[in-house]
Amino acid sequence: MKLEKPPAPAAAGAAALVVGTLSPWATFAGFPGKMSLGGFPGGARLFCLLLAAGALLFLLDVHGRRWAALATSAGAVAVVVVNLVALVDQGGGAGSVAWGACMSLAGAGLLVAAAWRLPPSSPAAGEATPTRAPVIEIAAIAAALLAVLGAVVWGLRIEESSRFVSFLVFVTFLSIAVHHLGVFSWLGAVFARHHRIALLLAGAVAVAFPFTQQGNAYWIRVFASIGVFAVAAIGLNVVVGLAGLLDLGYVAFFGVGAYVGALLSNAALTTSNVHLPFLLVVLLGGCIAAVFGLVIGAPTLRLRGDYLAIVTLGFGEIFRITANNWDGLTRGPNGISGIPDLALGGFDFGQSHAVLGVTLPGFANYYYVELVLICAAIVVFTRLNDSRIGRAWVAIREDEVAAAASGIDTIRLKLLAFAIGAFLAGAAGTVNAHVTTQVSPDSYTFLESILLVAAVVLGGMGTVPGALLGSTALFVIPEKLRSFQDKRLLLFGAALILLMRFRPEGLVPSRRRRRELREEAPEGVPGLAGATGAAPGGPAS
Amino acid sequence: MSLLEVRGVTKRFEGLLAVDSVDLDVEQGDIVGVIGPNGAGKTTLFNCLSGLEVPTGGEIRFRGQALSGRPDRFTRAGVARTFQNIRLFPHMTAFENVLVGRHCRTRVGLASAIGRGRKFHREERESETRADELLDFVGLARLGEVVARNLSYGDQRRLEIARALASDPGLLLLDEPRAGMNAQETRATADLVRRIRDRGVAVAVIEHDMRFIFGLCDRVAVLVQGRKLVEGTPAEVQGDPRVIEAYLGAPAG
Amino acid sequence: MRQFVQQLVNGTVLGATYGLIALGYTMVYGIIQLINFAHGEIFMVGAFGGLTVYRYWLPEAWADKVWVALPAVLVGAIAVSVGTAVLMERLAYRPLRNAPRLAPLITAIGVSIFLQEAVRLFYPDGKRQQSFPQLISSGTFEVAGVTVAWVSVFVVVVALALMVALQVFVKTTRTGKAMRATSQDPESAKLMGIDVDRVIVITFVLGAALAAVAGVMQGMRFAQIDFRIGFLVGLKAFTAAVLGGIGNLKGAVLGGFLLGIVEALATQYVPQGSSWKDVWAFVVLIAVLVIRPGGLLGERVAVRA
Repeated sequence: MKLEKPPAPAAAGAAALVVGTLSPWATFAGFPGKMSLGGFPGGARLFCLLLAAGALLFLLDVHGRRWAALATSAGAVAVVVVNLVALVDQGGGAGSVAWGACMSLAGAGLLVAAAWRLPPSSPAAGEATPTRAPVIEIAAIAAALLAVLGAVVWGLRIEESSRFVSFLVFVTFLSIAVHHLGVFSWLGAVFARHHRIALLLAGAVAVAFPFTQQGNAYWIRVFASIGVFAVAAIGLNVVVGLAGLLDLGYVAFFGVGAYVGALLSNAALTTSNVHLPFLLVVLLGGCIAAVFGLVIGAPTLRLRGDYLAIVTLGFGEIFRITANNWDGLTRGPNGISGIPDLALGGFDFGQSHAVLGVTLPGFANYYYVELVLICAAIVVFTRLNDSRIGRAWVAIREDEVAAAASGIDTIRLKLLAFAIGAFLAGAAGTVNAHVTTQVSPDSYTFLESILLVAAVVLGGMGTVPGALLGSTALFVIPEKLRSFQDKRLLLFGAALILLMRFRPEGLVPSRRRRRELREEAPEGVPGLAGATGAAPGGPAS
Repeated sequence: MSLLEVRGVTKRFEGLLAVDSVDLDVEQGDIVGVIGPNGAGKTTLFNCLSGLEVPTGGEIRFRGQALSGRPDRFTRAGVARTFQNIRLFPHMTAFENVLVGRHCRTRVGLASAIGRGRKFHREERESETRADELLDFVGLARLGEVVARNLSYGDQRRLEIARALASDPGLLLLDEPRAGMNAQETRATADLVRRIRDRGVAVAVIEHDMRFIFGLCDRVAVLVQGRKLVEGTPAEVQGDPRVIEAYLGAPAG
Repeated sequence: MRQFVQQLVNGTVLGATYGLIALGYTMVYGIIQLINFAHGEIFMVGAFGGLTVYRYWLPEAWADKVWVALPAVLVGAIAVSVGTAVLMERLAYRPLRNAPRLAPLITAIGVSIFLQEAVRLFYPDGKRQQSFPQLISSGTFEVAGVTVAWVSVFVVVVALALMVALQVFVKTTRTGKAMRATSQDPESAKLMGIDVDRVIVITFVLGAALAAVAGVMQGMRFAQIDFRIGFLVGLKAFTAAVLGGIGNLKGAVLGGFLLGIVEALATQYVPQGSSWKDVWAFVVLIAVLVIRPGGLLGERVAVRA
């Protein structure tokens, strides 16, 4: 890695960008992040400044730097544009934009042009040689996990939509840049080499999260909701991601579990008088849902893919309408409410508790229960994936006829996938009944099924990190973009269209899925998939 | 009792009689060739023998047991096949493709896969060893990690054979295994078939290349318009005027 | 007995709507093997398109002259539906022509959600029910003790006329033949010089036009529309298409009427039938797919092995 002299436009662009971030972007006070004041990179300008670091790539000939430089500078452009839109919108006209923003835009634009003209790196040019010292590698894992935690905690604290969008843009483009520098593939290899420790550390991070909230229950509650959703998403990932069966009525299994949980709890307004210990109820919810899965699957799993999708949609709707009409069992449209908090051996889940000097609100208890559930789901998922059963599922997905000819009982295996998915959804639903303290048919609509499918597809089919990421994104982003509250579904529809068009394999796809879904693109064409061809994969890819 | 007994198998498709009452016997250690002009019903016959089509009439017995039902039952009984238009699992590696072939001979179920006890690890090791050995056997020893769709055409055909062998069949049905190959590859394929036979697996081959068939097979059956016209040794079939007529037409005059 | 016949009549009218929309589903599936999830929304925007013409563009003086208002509304509806369908095909579906089946299906769902929300957000007062002009008189007449609305007669007559017209079109015109050829074997059709892309667009256009008419008729029958009517009606129409045999035009028509009648009869005769009204379509769908997936009249789709 030798130092080069940066081309003049790059230097000028970098300078302009940096100066711009230290100057006012807004002509009116009141824009979030004190953007009308100069002298410091307040608000979204900070993201621009950080992305300006990409200009350093003009100094070092590192492998993949062209795309990384493009990504950082394009990211800077994007951040400025987002804020321009917000400024004009809030300030009421082009006059709200101050010269700092324009300068940053010009600077970033110069950087993009300069980056475009960089020669593609020769493969031998200073590729980051992987260190072999385990200590460094483990430290790197810990650092990466802490970075993620930090980003999540910090991102959650951002109040204003425009700054949050800027944050998302920043993270996205930074990730793309880092990916092109080979960091993700290196991290992936490191994770794989030390996967036990990596999982332990990841678990520690997850456990640590509620402690970072300083007693504030809001985000813990959100993550408690994400937790159940994530378990269901992992279950759906077995059905859709592994076995390739599109289920558009999946939420019905979730609902079955929820109603089981509600009926067997000591709810204030319930139709049954049975009360069973919690763990048993969770298992029961899962098992009953699995039975439903078998009943539904038996006649329908031999149908073609799209037909299966519609039929499962039908079953989902039948479930909802039945729950709505069967007053005797489900109390119809009112549902069952007043579901009490769990009480395991005297430990009341609704109460906050003080642990290690920090007060953890009641929802943290559910959060931890769900962590256990998620771990169980992950174990089931990864172990099945990496077994004869998982291979058979992939075979069925790739060519069902050939799979049958190779000796696979396709019907039985599809049923198995369906039942497992249903079980996980049912278990999650049972827990959810306690988190939300009520169940009603309105919660189990077609849209919910689509959200689950979207989480799996968005995150990346067939991977655990994908399902988790997708669930988180689908919960957190709408929460954060509250000013777009009304347009949320519109954007969701548009996002689905764009996602399928430009990145159908999702954010963290398994290598195999990427191969399947990028069939038509010639190998080696640079795109979001990465010119280096490396797949950002986690340990469970 | 023959290894495979085909009695009067018929397959009718809405007005088209694709296979018309065909009888065939395959013994242990046989290499049987099935030839005939295009449209003669050869692949349909193989489809019936491997469970991909349900015969409209007739009976198929393998090792004395009547075979019927879905294709996986046939494979489990011991009849494996390859396809005319190669049907590999394109996005799985060669190694994984062969592993899938082992599926019906392994028993790890839901509980074992999740519990990861001794049985799981033992079976996985055995399957992997077997897969390596099979890849080596067909000549793909160093290509295990290559994604199937990236393999050359000839290698793909060999991989398909390896996958079929992975299910420990007693009979292997090869549907046009040398299509698209040059002379040298064809010789290698014939050689492979003989080695398969030497391992104790009987083979039935559909092919159009006469030299390949006559040089390889112990017996040849000729199918014309769904019916078995002639069956005999290569010499007998080659000289039979009916066969010549079926391919070339009756001599003028 | 009278009730029975009454429900038969009701069912037939209902079925006319289902049939018109089912034709769109069946044609598109026959040609590109895609379940156009958003077809129900095409129906909905068609209704809104017609409403827009009536409300904003039709001069007051002509508002109650059926011979002017009705064609104007229909033209508006068809224009909007066809426009939306063409855009949809071009922007969302065409790029995914060769993608694995999952991608276009999810895209279609995305389009469906998008269209629903677009109408809800951007149409004036889109969240609420919109009253739809009753261009045909809202009167009824009695025949053999059964009440029939004039609108219903209109609906059934128009629907049947359009269905026949479509059949004739597909059977006799060059484009129709091109459509049939493409649906059987797109590759060969291309080799024969058929512009497959154009044929596909025409398929979408025809389906959209029929759905638009159905939308206007829905509006006239119920005197109101809202952004949600597409979803359920769309699913039911798809069921009708499957019931008759997907890809089969006559099947779609037959399926539509049958489903309408089944729904009407079930609502009448099953205890508390009306609250389960929407379930019957799904029950029928599941039953058909399990017992006879090819539908009543058999599929007409190129089987992709």
